[in-house]
Amino acid sequence: MSTTGRPAAERSILAWMREPLWSDDEARFEELALALFAHQFERCGPYRSFCERRGATPSGLRHWWEIPPVPTGAFKEVALRCFPAERTVHTFRTSGTSTSLRGELHLDTLELYEASLLPTLCRFLLPDLSPGQPEATILALAPSPAEVRDSSLSHMFGVAIRELGAAGSGFFLERGALLVDELLAALDAAPPQRPLLLCGTSYAFVHLLDELERRRTTLRLGAAARIMETGGFKGRSRSVPRASLYLALEQALGIPLERIVNQYGMTELGSQFYDGVLRDPESLRRKLGPPWARVRIVDPETGDEARAGQTGTLVIHDLANTGSVLAVQTADLGRRIEDGFEVLGRQDGAEQRGCSIAAEEMLEGAHA
Amino acid sequence: MRLEDPHALRALLDELREAGAKLRRRPQHETLDALARVLDGWSDPGSAWRARLLEQLPAATGFSPETVRAGLDLALAGWSGDALRELVQRELPPFARLGSGSPWTAGFACTAVLLAGSIPMPTLLSLLTPLVLRSPLLAKCASRDPVTPLLVAGSIAETDAELGGCLRLVDFPGADPERMAALLEAECVVATGSDATIASVRARIPPTRRLVAHGHRLSLAALGGEALRPSLRSDVAERLALDVALWDQLGCLSPVAVYAVGDAAADALAEALAAALAALEQRMPRGRIDVQTASEIAHQRAEAELRAAAGARVAVHASQGTRWTVVREDACAVRPAPLHRFVRVFALSAPAELLAAAAPYATQLAGVALEGFGAETPTLARGLADLGASRVCAPGALQAPPLGWHRDGLGVLAPLARLSDPELLV
Repeated sequence: MSTTGRPAAERSILAWMREPLWSDDEARFEELALALFAHQFERCGPYRSFCERRGATPSGLRHWWEIPPVPTGAFKEVALRCFPAERTVHTFRTSGTSTSLRGELHLDTLELYEASLLPTLCRFLLPDLSPGQPEATILALAPSPAEVRDSSLSHMFGVAIRELGAAGSGFFLERGALLVDELLAALDAAPPQRPLLLCGTSYAFVHLLDELERRRTTLRLGAAARIMETGGFKGRSRSVPRASLYLALEQALGIPLERIVNQYGMTELGSQFYDGVLRDPESLRRKLGPPWARVRIVDPETGDEARAGQTGTLVIHDLANTGSVLAVQTADLGRRIEDGFEVLGRQDGAEQRGCSIAAEEMLEGAHA
Repeated sequence: MRLEDPHALRALLDELREAGAKLRRRPQHETLDALARVLDGWSDPGSAWRARLLEQLPAATGFSPETVRAGLDLALAGWSGDALRELVQRELPPFARLGSGSPWTAGFACTAVLLAGSIPMPTLLSLLTPLVLRSPLLAKCASRDPVTPLLVAGSIAETDAELGGCLRLVDFPGADPERMAALLEAECVVATGSDATIASVRARIPPTRRLVAHGHRLSLAALGGEALRPSLRSDVAERLALDVALWDQLGCLSPVAVYAVGDAAADALAEALAAALAALEQRMPRGRIDVQTASEIAHQRAEAELRAAAGARVAVHASQGTRWTVVREDACAVRPAPLHRFVRVFALSAPAELLAAAAPYATQLAGVALEGFGAETPTLARGLADLGASRVCAPGALQAPPLGWHRDGLGVLAPLARLSDPELLV
């Protein structure tokens, strides 16, 4: 245990995130996960008590998957932090209304968050970046982090633009309005040979499609373009099946289906998962993530690993979550596919709080 | 039951209108007598129709056979032919005096019924009531219960073939707009379902057409000090557990939250309720659930455990697996209700707090089981009724509403009727 209050495993985790080649090292993950669990067990009182009630202590666990996961809903109820509140440097919040509780991820450093997101984003969205082509045009259909400081999605886009964005990159949703003219100008100005990433929430893309249709405009973005969309529609005023959305995007923007990537992430997690289509277009569409985050498909009746092909609850162990808890029980169902997984939707009764919703509320507000 | 195209549905409506016109030429008492015999059959535990329902419903709906048997025994005991006659007298007093100068009561030329859910009693009632008014009906079956409508229709046809010809069942996806539009051309529409379903139906029906809608509802329970004395606690907990467990808590009369006066009383009630649910599980097991539901139950349990770990006065009493759950909550709040035998227990500091605690549920409140409040009972019952509860009863009786229960604050027959005042004939 570190005397600085930071987990001793943190340096090793950061080093793993910064390695140029990913290694799917089970023993390494296990060692770091158990060490990080010991730190979180000691520093986070509510989590320690939660684990003790389940008979889980650092000395008693042998495997990373035995680390008790905390349900995402608990992030709304309890401040899950392993450091004194005054050391909080940033708090991300789930979307929600002024009257509803919002989940909060408190961070005492953004270093791991950013160290995790960048190589993952590069690997699954910008695999064509190289020393000779280190930048991409990144156009975000989302508000900037300056406008919504507590949005993890905006922060992620902000980091991507800061570290990888070429001139012309930026945010194209401002005070609830999609900046369509500016976006079209930016798309027009983007060099065709440079990687182009158009990223945003599903709802923002739906609004973009609506606006293009209203203008009777279609685009033919070049072969270097790709889309990243995230979030869902369930419970919202408009719902567009993902397959329909992708077809509409292909037709309106000229970006083929195999260059449209869904991201699976959540405020409570430091790491994200992406469709592997850009890296592996020949294989089944499935979610893949970094080696420092593991996904289990759990049978909710037993808490054990679901059988092969069986649908279960997605439980994620993420070493990027050093300051909170590394094991998170999501409200989503999923199924294992080869070396990845697919997300099958959210529990019926679970509250809706995807990143997409805040953007939708802003857009609807602008159109009201 | 057939999957009709929109044209065939319209033709079916016309056929039914003709059948209804023919039915109305028969003496009214014949129809009522036949329907009373049908209901007597269903209320008889030894009847062939009950036996077939017991045999077929578990596989179709996922309820355990024991749950189906207990639910039917309790609910149908009072649903007799005589109860139907009393209901007619109460809600349609001019009924027996048609043509006498009193207001005339008549059913619509045709009624469309949209069935929902997997509990058989609402289906039985929904299929009988238009016929009481001699309105033929076209019913769209619920995907979760394909069994009950067929058996009820069969029992009517067996009792009175002409009456049986006035009831037709259809099945098509609710999202099919063309078929739904055709069905909703009936002169009266009775719709049961989620709030989204009701809103969708309402949007498709002209304001001049009769719509009787039953949306999403839930129930509560509240226990005062008298009911929670140690000597009585087990008894009331067992009755409450029955209210929770019957139909696996999927009915609108299933309590999702229980209020007890006093922290210690709430603690003790939660323990007693857990013990009662565990005992019920042995003789009346919960039915099968899908992985989404199981996942949500697991999620809600874990969330409550974490709140307990963080110092809140929360306790989770639960079975192995997800078969039943009692969460003793810290403070009154509306929390997710995964159902399937998942109930939360809240503490009130005084009986007067009950109405404030129930207020957030007001628009969706169906029933409240109430006991142990002594002289305050009438005031509380009245307050709950004012909030929107259409039924206040004792614990253990929630799942046995009388035939004439004013579900959603409505009559059973009157909303399906047209009344006319023939003043010139007086």
